Amino acid sequence: MASGGTAGLRNLIGLLARLILGVALVVAGALKVTHPAVSAQAVRAYQIFSYDVAGYVGYALPVVEILIGLLLVAGLFTRVCAVVGALLMVAFIIGISSAWARGLALDCGCFGGGGTIASSQTQYPWEILRDVGLAACGVWLIVRPATSYSLDHRLFG
Amino acid sequence: MRPDASKKIAKATPKSGPNPVVIGAIIAVVVVLAVVVAIVIGNNGKSGSTSAASGNPVPAGVVGGTGGGIFANAATAKSNAPTMDAFEDFQCPTCGELERALGPEIRTLADSGQIKLVYHMMSFLDANLGNDSSTRAANAAACAADAGKFLQYHAAVFAGQPTKEGAGYTDVQLTQFAQTAGITGTALTTWQKCATSAQHAKYVTDVETASGQAGVTGTPTIKLNGTDITKTLTTPASLIATVKAATH
Repeated sequence: MASGGTAGLRNLIGLLARLILGVALVVAGALKVTHPAVSAQAVRAYQIFSYDVAGYVGYALPVVEILIGLLLVAGLFTRVCAVVGALLMVAFIIGISSAWARGLALDCGCFGGGGTIASSQTQYPWEILRDVGLAACGVWLIVRPATSYSLDHRLFG
Repeated sequence: MRPDASKKIAKATPKSGPNPVVIGAIIAVVVVLAVVVAIVIGNNGKSGSTSAASGNPVPAGVVGGTGGGIFANAATAKSNAPTMDAFEDFQCPTCGELERALGPEIRTLADSGQIKLVYHMMSFLDANLGNDSSTRAANAAACAADAGKFLQYHAAVFAGQPTKEGAGYTDVQLTQFAQTAGITGTALTTWQKCATSAQHAKYVTDVETASGQAGVTGTPTIKLNGTDITKTLTTPASLIATVKAATH
């Protein structure tokens, strides 16, 4: 295969990574942003931050997710947004693992809801695996931010 | 002939078109503004202040400062009895299960003075379930505390808990619970006024906040002398053994 073809394929993989991470963030943020009290309670359930700090994280997180997600979908400032997106995923993985290790029974609250649930209903392995996949999308874009159909390419060449 | 400088100038001049730094700065400002607005809106929603109702804002029997629980058996508790703090939400199905499994035993321990029973009725499930039944029921129970019937009212609400989480409680049901709890005559009139006017609404909000600040993030949470014993409570026998071990 010619080198141009490989670059084209990589651009398409980048596009896919952008859309997967971006859409996941937009959906996760949109499902939470209209219920700030639930989001704050979901963060408190992790018992990591103090009551007030957990509240601020709960209120702010959905907004950040939506904005970063939209930028990723548009392909604007891809590398910076991929860094933020990947860091968010790493933070989520740490939070979920920590809750699991401490024997807490939580719904991660990733897509709304959240809080303490029966220990038989926890889905820690799946939640962590999903976030690892999303983090991988972010890492790809950090390493290689050039993608097909991006505003970055249109605006800045 | 002087060398043509136009190529050099073209190289030094920034490429026409949008400047990434400017766009980036604008987006950064938008992100920060949106985060600030979200936090302000979230904090405003949290306070949920209601118009001041007449009568005492804090119900009878509250211990431990702002947002403290209701000491439900102050009349019978022995001085050496351990303190049992129960954090519950009237809409929480697991709290209903706990009440069915151990409620009668807990009330027996309270009536015989072997524990100091303090109830913290939380209301965070309102936000999850999209109704206001936890807050209204907690207010109604606080009104029952004014009538000296908190434990009876608490039992009546859980006995009438809907099987489907989120169905909530109607005002008619809350009044029926008061009658079941044995609130009658002028006491019932006072209770009704207290329940309808949401007299203890601020107290209910304060309990939710204080419980959260105390690290209670789920219901039911049962603490005995400050130690979380929720997971050890499986049978009436285990409850009695735990209480006995904590009695000095």
